[in-house]
Amino acid sequence: MIDLLLAQQPLAELILVNAILAYSQYIALRAGVFSLATAGLASIGAYTAAVLTVRWGVPMPLGLAAAALAGAATGGLLALPLARLRGVFQAIATLAFVQIVLSLALYAEPLTGGAMGMNGLPRTVQGWHLLGVFALVLYLVFALSRGGVGRAFDTIRQEETVAVSLGIRVVQYHRLAFALSGAVAGLGGGVMAHRNYSLVPEDFGFPLLVSVLTFVVLGGRAAVLGPLAGAAVLTALPELARPLADYRLAVNGLLMVLFIVYLPHGVVDTVLLQARRLRLAARQRAGEARA
Amino acid sequence: MTSQLQEGLVLDGVTRAFGGVVAVDDLSLTVAPGRITGLIGPNGAGKSTVVNLITGLLRLTAGRIRLGGRDITEAEAPEVARAGIARTFQTVRLLKEASVLDNVVAGFHRHERAGLAAGLLGLPSALREGRELRRRAAAILERFGMAGFADQPAGSLSYGHQRRVEMMRALAMEPRLLLLDEPVAGMNDVEADALGRIVAELAGDGLGVLLIEHNMRFVLSLCAEIHVIDSGRLIASGTPAAVRRDPAVIAAYLGT
Amino acid sequence: MALVAQQIVNGIVVGSTYALFALGFTLIFGVLHVLNLAHGAVFMWGAFTGLFAVTALGLPLAAAFAIAMLAAGLLSVLVDAVAFRPLRRRGSPEFAAIISSLGVAQILMSAAQIASDTQVQRFPFGTFPIVFYQVFGLRVSLQQIVIVGSVAVLVAALLAFLFATSFGRQIRAVAISERTASLLGVNPGAVHALTFFLCGALAGAAGVIIGIAFNSVHFLMGEPYLLRGFVVIVLGGLGSVAGAVIGGLLFGMIQTLSVAFLSSALSDAILFGLLFVILLLRPSGFFGTLRREIRVVRQ
Repeated sequence: MIDLLLAQQPLAELILVNAILAYSQYIALRAGVFSLATAGLASIGAYTAAVLTVRWGVPMPLGLAAAALAGAATGGLLALPLARLRGVFQAIATLAFVQIVLSLALYAEPLTGGAMGMNGLPRTVQGWHLLGVFALVLYLVFALSRGGVGRAFDTIRQEETVAVSLGIRVVQYHRLAFALSGAVAGLGGGVMAHRNYSLVPEDFGFPLLVSVLTFVVLGGRAAVLGPLAGAAVLTALPELARPLADYRLAVNGLLMVLFIVYLPHGVVDTVLLQARRLRLAARQRAGEARA
Repeated sequence: MTSQLQEGLVLDGVTRAFGGVVAVDDLSLTVAPGRITGLIGPNGAGKSTVVNLITGLLRLTAGRIRLGGRDITEAEAPEVARAGIARTFQTVRLLKEASVLDNVVAGFHRHERAGLAAGLLGLPSALREGRELRRRAAAILERFGMAGFADQPAGSLSYGHQRRVEMMRALAMEPRLLLLDEPVAGMNDVEADALGRIVAELAGDGLGVLLIEHNMRFVLSLCAEIHVIDSGRLIASGTPAAVRRDPAVIAAYLGT
Repeated sequence: MALVAQQIVNGIVVGSTYALFALGFTLIFGVLHVLNLAHGAVFMWGAFTGLFAVTALGLPLAAAFAIAMLAAGLLSVLVDAVAFRPLRRRGSPEFAAIISSLGVAQILMSAAQIASDTQVQRFPFGTFPIVFYQVFGLRVSLQQIVIVGSVAVLVAALLAFLFATSFGRQIRAVAISERTASLLGVNPGAVHALTFFLCGALAGAAGVIIGIAFNSVHFLMGEPYLLRGFVVIVLGGLGSVAGAVIGGLLFGMIQTLSVAFLSSALSDAILFGLLFVILLLRPSGFFGTLRREIRVVRQ
């Protein structure tokens, strides 16, 4: 039993890394920001951590902190032109941003190693480090959900006109969402840099962008546990069902279409909605029985 | 200062043109605190444009808007709300999946005090504030006789009840001015009268209410002062009795 | 100087293909107010169909071109039926359309990957005669002339269709207001399908042209075009047909010039960076009319 669990450790770690990136995407979507920038922000975090630790000998925890900071700063910068734009424009611009990061990472060869990437990175992040970082992110998202920021995010996402009429400064909250999403993505990228032996710019391209988006669409965009569930299912699926791995792209695509059309709230949110409906119905029946 | 505070909402020569079409033309009126002021007019008279101009969704072509002495002509919509204008919508707009209680809690936004850091780190001050807001929202629900619906998803309620939730959310803002945009559209007379009593009570507590309506009966029974617009222009102002007899108003409503 | 002029000529050729691709992209946005992220996959399948018609069916290039346009047009209608129509019926927000079209794109790409065994496919040697001319000291190939010529014909045909036929009027009416149009007796479902067909056919044409010009057809070829298509349509103004053409040409020229005189990695950074500059300075693009949809401020 223990052996079996240990054998699954790489998979569990991969799930955690993916979940961290999924939370970056989640924070943006929860605030009604159509940012697809997570892949690019993670790239910035990854290269920040790798360059700092490998080239300048900065200790790993500091490298991770710098990665989160770099991600937050970049997200904040992105927000300057994008926070007041409408959804479609945010999506287009952040797609472009991912391409810009990719091409700059290819271009800045002295720093990033260009197309060959950085190789022979020391693997300094252990399983329990990873768990710690993940717990930190999860706590942040939980705290955010329960406070005023979460309430404002929810209102903006569901009815922006209402949010505005209640005095919610949408632009400021969108900026905040960009920065937070950037911090979490940067952290995720930093962790990737310390877990993988090599780092190439293409690790953070369109495919990563799509998978991260799929995690959140599948898991759910409102409940805090949605992204984790999405990342877990989609990461484990090709590992556990080998034949599916060859068709990963198609399976991902199919799931995206099916979910957004037939289960638009994702797994976790749908389950929670149903549970609440049942609870209310039961309470109503109990009330009627008493009457 | 006090006199300015008592000034309420003032529209001064408000004008808006779309291209060459003047939708609202040199409109001036005042909504005093503690009174229900009506703004009526036939379809296409420019009522919705007035609402959008006041709430900061449309830019004025000319004129000024003041609230309690403060100029809000250029203020963006969230700042208008923060200055103290709460509104309801012509077609009900609620967070449909969220519970009734959470919908009302959302209305407290402009009074939230917990800092950003406290909220992001989940500090006790933020959690305490959350509990406090839920308690205050529950009190509003109680007052409107909606306590039993607190946990229901807002979208599952009947139309009349959804209107009530919207009203409660607006009141959670503790506004200076409540702007009601066709609040009884789609309601039967019983529901409309119930809503009318609530509005009258709020005005009695000192709130200024701007009631924008199509339904003449409702407005005549409720308002202290009524302004009538047609084709974007003010064609009559006065008490319900005076407005009802005004030939220009009769002509506008019956068509000539 | 001659070098610059030569690059500008090359830029116009490349840019005309971007224009062709972006036309359909922007038209779908203009009419349906959704971003079709499967447009690049339709383009790619157009290239594959053209290739198949030449290699497996042995058809002449002109016939292959027509078949590719037809197939890509039909595929695009299918994309609409799978990715957009179910959401339209439910009135789902624009975000859902982005996700579902992205999903369909993944499926189409995966299918092409399997069909092509992940290999780059090539048109047989001599599919297009290699002839060069000297014009005012510039080197211009027959291929380049045919590319620009056929793009010009297609653009003219599209404009004629949009502005001189009753179907075209219906499309423009739906673009302005679907509700008003349907009150006037326009069938929005038919208009949507027709729009997708036209846009897909244009993308298919662009796919064949690019496939021949670079003599390479592969399952990932749609992705860079999709991403660059975004810059083109933002440059020209979302929803603007004329803007897509001018934006495409401009984009092609900036690209060839920056690749020639800087580096290709930097060229991408500049082109995508351009998008941010536009969004900061003039978010409605240079020919756009959809100003209302861009910013959340007093209008």
